[in-house]
Amino acid sequence: MHGDVEAEGAGGLRTAARVGTLALIAGLPVVVLGGLALWLGPRITEGLDHRAVAAWRTVFTAIVIQGVPFLLLGTVVSAIISAFVPAWVFTRVLPRNPALAVPVAGAAGAVLPGCECASVPVAGSLMRRGVAPAAALAFLLSAPAINPIVLVATYVAFPDTPWMVAARLIASLLTSVAMGWLWIRAGREEWLRLPKGPTGHTPGASRAEEFRVSLQHDFLHAGGFLVVGAAAAATFNVAVPHSVLRLFSDSLWLSLPMLGLLAVVLAVCSEADAFVAASLTGFSPTARLAFMVVGPMVDLKLIALQSGTFGRAFAVRFSSATWVMAVLCSGLVGWWLL
Amino acid sequence: MKRNVQVLLLLFLGVGLLHISLLTDLYLRYVRPGLRPALIASGVLLIVLGAVSAARDGFPFNRPRTDGHDHHDGHGHGHDHAGGPKVAWLLYVPALTILFLAPPALGSYTAARDEAAAPKAPSSSSSSGESLFPALPDTGVVPMSLNDFSARAVWDTDRTLKGHTVRLTGFVTPSGHGTWYVSRLVISCCAADAQVRKVRVHGAPAPPADAWVTVTGTWHPTGKVGTDDASPALDATAVRRVPEPKDPYHDLG
Repeated sequence: MHGDVEAEGAGGLRTAARVGTLALIAGLPVVVLGGLALWLGPRITEGLDHRAVAAWRTVFTAIVIQGVPFLLLGTVVSAIISAFVPAWVFTRVLPRNPALAVPVAGAAGAVLPGCECASVPVAGSLMRRGVAPAAALAFLLSAPAINPIVLVATYVAFPDTPWMVAARLIASLLTSVAMGWLWIRAGREEWLRLPKGPTGHTPGASRAEEFRVSLQHDFLHAGGFLVVGAAAAATFNVAVPHSVLRLFSDSLWLSLPMLGLLAVVLAVCSEADAFVAASLTGFSPTARLAFMVVGPMVDLKLIALQSGTFGRAFAVRFSSATWVMAVLCSGLVGWWLL
Repeated sequence: MKRNVQVLLLLFLGVGLLHISLLTDLYLRYVRPGLRPALIASGVLLIVLGAVSAARDGFPFNRPRTDGHDHHDGHGHGHDHAGGPKVAWLLYVPALTILFLAPPALGSYTAARDEAAAPKAPSSSSSSGESLFPALPDTGVVPMSLNDFSARAVWDTDRTLKGHTVRLTGFVTPSGHGTWYVSRLVISCCAADAQVRKVRVHGAPAPPADAWVTVTGTWHPTGKVGTDDASPALDATAVRRVPEPKDPYHDLG
């Protein structure tokens, strides 16, 4: 590179050297990157063809595709709430006292037909509209667990034990109401990064424009977190052999939290989890109940969605508390009914 | 994420959803057939949303906003509204995947990892004395679903399978030492909840993994019928390659 010192007089040589240097500087990265690409390229294509990777991609894509329609439904409902439903509607419908509003909101969860992807944006917009956080959280937990579609699916999956439907309804409702009350007692406002939508304070915009902006923002935001959750769930789905679980099926006290954990990592949609629970033969009915109560309330996909909407500080605390509560309630209800 | 990039994402995702649900049957690799209307509706909604946004915000170049939105950028929210959420970039992964790189349906890798979900024991309550398993027709080869065959092979103490030639359809799952299964994955919502059905095949060399085959043969009793010992197996007389069915998760004969 210091060739130009000797070529002091020869202008042509100097230019040539400079061009050479530049070519070297520019060329080196091209060669390195090109070589890397040539060397890595086949490996990457090969990697994409690897059967475990293919299975991962299929499960990941399936969870996202399964979630998108429900997420859209949820964001459309939440955008309608933000843009068209005035705040006084909720203060009039719900009891003023939060402790009373919690069970009402929990029972109201039965009206939102969808799985858990739909409930997070709706709960966010309810809080934005001035609904007490405790009531909105009870709704968030109960909506995917006790809506009619899920209960019918449970009935179809457990044709021999119709009590399972009642047990699921009671345990889910109990958990969501208990979590709402727990939030009133122990929750702190600062954990909750109250969702601030893009709407509500644009002077010139029409209602329809508010609706569009809110829908687009909420969908893209929650959709990104859905992708994170789907990737995590797909990883566990492909990496953990289900036969490991059978080791724990003998003991009731171990199988209850084990199936609770399984529900978290598998992130099966709440409309389908009854069928998965039915297939977990060898486990006690109570442990399977725990799987179905925990699943719609705490799973990897939901934790990602919640930390997107309410902040990570909230999602971690709330999800772990909900998990404990859900396992306790299903143990209790299972012992009583099943 | 800039507004024009958001428009592009909405359009990609919308077109991708229509591509897998309306124009092709690719969606059947991932979700149950019943979700098709919801997928089409979502695709249309996303395209409409993208088109309206393109008209309002300008595309492919952003039109400068004149209304009050830009005031809010300094408020210190987690994200600025004109820009939109950064995490949305991740949505490009599934959007482009379903458009250009649709992964295959789950196959022998998943089927080999899991034990077959034991077929349900017949419920005695619903059947008052009479058998749960109606007699098979006597004429020639009986096409059966893997689920039906497994349930009869494991639980049917009347042995209705005996003396019949049946035909099963599924993909090949090898399991070492030249043994193999004809298998299916059954989903109830999406591919994340796939459950395994598999029947061991005796008396025929293993075709390549994941190949779709119809196996004709007779029941190979294994273990004591009516207990968990029994497992479904078949003595094959003929193995024929068939094309992959449109809905690979629909367990039919």
